Amino acid sequence: MKTVSLIGIFMFAILGIAKLSPEEAPSKMQKELDIVAHVGSAMVDGDICQKIVTQRARELMFASDPRDRFLAGDNYDVDDVAFNTVKKTLIRLSHLSSFPADVNLWMPIEGHAGKIQLVIRNKNEMSQFWNWGELYGDIVPQMETVLKTGQRVTVTNKPGWISVLAPVYNSLGDVVGLIETVSQVKMDAHENVK
Amino acid sequence: MRRLQTRFVFLFLIAIYSQVLLARDLEALPEFLRSDPFGAIVAPDRSGADLASSLYGAKHQVVLTGCRGGYVSFHLVVKLPSPSTYTLDVTIPDPTNKVQIDLFREWFHFTDSDKRYYPDALIPVHATYSSRLPEPDNRIPKQTAQAFWVDVYVAPDTRLGIFSGTAKLKANSKITTLPIQLTVLACVIPGEDVVTIDHNSYGSSWLAQQFAGSYQHDPDHWFESNQFFELIHAYHRVFYEHRGIFHQLGYGHSGKVGPEFAPGLEGSGRAKHITSWSLYDRHYGPLFDGTAFSASRRGPRPIPFVYLPINPEWPASYEFWGERGYEAEFVNVVSEMERHFREKGWTQTNFEIFFNHKKRYKGFPWDGDEVRFPKDLKYFLEYDRLLKKALPPNTPVHFVVRADVSWDMEEQFKVLNGIVRLWCCGGGILSFYRHAPKMLCDRGDVVWYYGGPPGVTDSSSAITEFPLRAWLWGVNGYVHWLTVSPGEDPWFHFDGGQTALIYSGERFGVSEPIPSIRLKIQRNCLQDLALLDSLKRRKSLDSLRAGAARSYNNSTLDDWWNSRPALADLPSDQWLGSAIDDSTKHTQRALGHPGASAWYKVHQYAMSLQAEAK
Repeated sequence: MKTVSLIGIFMFAILGIAKLSPEEAPSKMQKELDIVAHVGSAMVDGDICQKIVTQRARELMFASDPRDRFLAGDNYDVDDVAFNTVKKTLIRLSHLSSFPADVNLWMPIEGHAGKIQLVIRNKNEMSQFWNWGELYGDIVPQMETVLKTGQRVTVTNKPGWISVLAPVYNSLGDVVGLIETVSQVKMDAHENVK
Repeated sequence: MRRLQTRFVFLFLIAIYSQVLLARDLEALPEFLRSDPFGAIVAPDRSGADLASSLYGAKHQVVLTGCRGGYVSFHLVVKLPSPSTYTLDVTIPDPTNKVQIDLFREWFHFTDSDKRYYPDALIPVHATYSSRLPEPDNRIPKQTAQAFWVDVYVAPDTRLGIFSGTAKLKANSKITTLPIQLTVLACVIPGEDVVTIDHNSYGSSWLAQQFAGSYQHDPDHWFESNQFFELIHAYHRVFYEHRGIFHQLGYGHSGKVGPEFAPGLEGSGRAKHITSWSLYDRHYGPLFDGTAFSASRRGPRPIPFVYLPINPEWPASYEFWGERGYEAEFVNVVSEMERHFREKGWTQTNFEIFFNHKKRYKGFPWDGDEVRFPKDLKYFLEYDRLLKKALPPNTPVHFVVRADVSWDMEEQFKVLNGIVRLWCCGGGILSFYRHAPKMLCDRGDVVWYYGGPPGVTDSSSAITEFPLRAWLWGVNGYVHWLTVSPGEDPWFHFDGGQTALIYSGERFGVSEPIPSIRLKIQRNCLQDLALLDSLKRRKSLDSLRAGAARSYNNSTLDDWWNSRPALADLPSDQWLGSAIDDSTKHTQRALGHPGASAWYKVHQYAMSLQAEAK
């Protein structure tokens, strides 16, 4: 039943967004990204997400050594089976959008309140929150809302960017992370090719 | 105390000496002594101040000596104590036009780190150049000196003998003439280099920033314009003319591919195929057939290496990784690429399958670059399987798997034997494995090592250490990891240039990149290495190498290697970064920083051997 309604929502979105005028684009894109985020919330398996980042990577993520400035990054590691499983789901979710979009996975870091890490990015290399190269960052208020309330939140802070944040649940019903469905009104084909 | 006094007196004398020698209104300096905008030698080069008079003959003429097929270079410094206009004219007349002069005005960059000026960017100017001091665009208060880089090109078929010329300065109603005497020797610098020096870069968005005027003219279509592709070719050309090569990686850490770096694709699964070669061929065609270099002094030649856009997300979608669809997409498209390259006759370039991504950048779950965790190697094995399916066994097109390796290189040399054929090794860790270059080269692999350019605040000779080390080690090349990124304001707030060896010429009305002093010194070093290596028929290579090392910094060949440390016996995922540094202390101690005259001495060594050979 849940699947049927999700498909219905999706079909509505696709039929509703054929060709957009520049004025219409942001709001229509926002609606479509919201639908993708809604579906993603149901489809992304939080238990698997929690297995992606290895214990070693988590332990050393905040470690520092003045003689080894890449200590945390050099020890960053993931369980590739879990990573691939979730990444494939995220890619498929992005296909629900009628325009190029990415679906990224973000997860808070246990034992480090207020910090969050991007765990999976995708091929358009878009995110409204990731500063290139950082292993983790501060949880922004919109993310905090999602993690605390389970509500979806739309963010348009950066001009021309639209992100919809949606919760990811594990089998206990806990919000263990969030997905960022994201796109740009005008894509830059050369940005982040580095 | 006494030692301190002696040292002080010595430094004082050097300082005075350098000032005195620059105290005329037109001075010639060897390439390793850079002047500041007030006529003094920049601090990092003062250790070589004793070279200041080395260019001068008995009659105060500039004496140059060089082999054919290369360049002889020096600085000219115009010094005017008070603001004034001037005209500089440099000429070495040659009716056959085999001897040619390229004159460059040296830009003085203000570096924020030490609040000093260093010359580096070279602005091409006519051999007759008129301006004023202080130079208006460089905006240096109380500037009293303007330096010029002089490249004297001697064609391979130049007649032997002496050529006479002059550098003439007109200023304040006074004419100063400096005679120039160029002796062209019989030796010919080999056209082929003994080490490949690569200049790396990422993507092309930086081109729009550095050539903003051109980009802003038509931002919506600029990345598809002839101007854009001509600019890329100009970047290849400037490095080629300086005996180097240029790489542009065309994809990001999550697999985003710049449109000009890959053919257009459509479809999914078994239906995935190439739909357009338009941008790709405009970008690479002139590079693969060599026509992009037709007007160069070195002549047209296909580029020897290029990155392919292949990555875990291209041409196959990672959505299908491990499934039949991934294989179908990969094999379909790579097969089409092979066919296209073969039909075009692009068979002289090595097409690199290179994985640059790191898992820390969150795109993929394995490290393609600098593998640390051995479990990641299985992905390389899978790509080898896919490649073998995609490529005809006897294809004349050279597809080569490249791996940039550090932590785990020793294991990778074994596990990926026959799969990876181009190894780009971290220099520190490679220094533990003295046997490796020969072992790899003997099995037909190509070996480079990597690092970054020295800054302008290092001594002028610092850049020569990388090609020299490659040659001493017996590896095939060296990669400067980033060479086109001079920072937000290289002109007035320079970051030092550790990620740049060339600059945008747009500020000076030049629609192409312009070179640097460091790039010129590197080129001249490569000339010398090619010459030295060519003497191995008369003298053993080991002996030549030992002589060069001794001349450079009084080192032995052993000083350039570290012993294999105990940590090398541990699995690489247990190594500590700080322990790697500890394990390279021997070379750090033994080699130190080369003084400004280090390469001058190697050059003299090469020329003396050349004279002996004659």
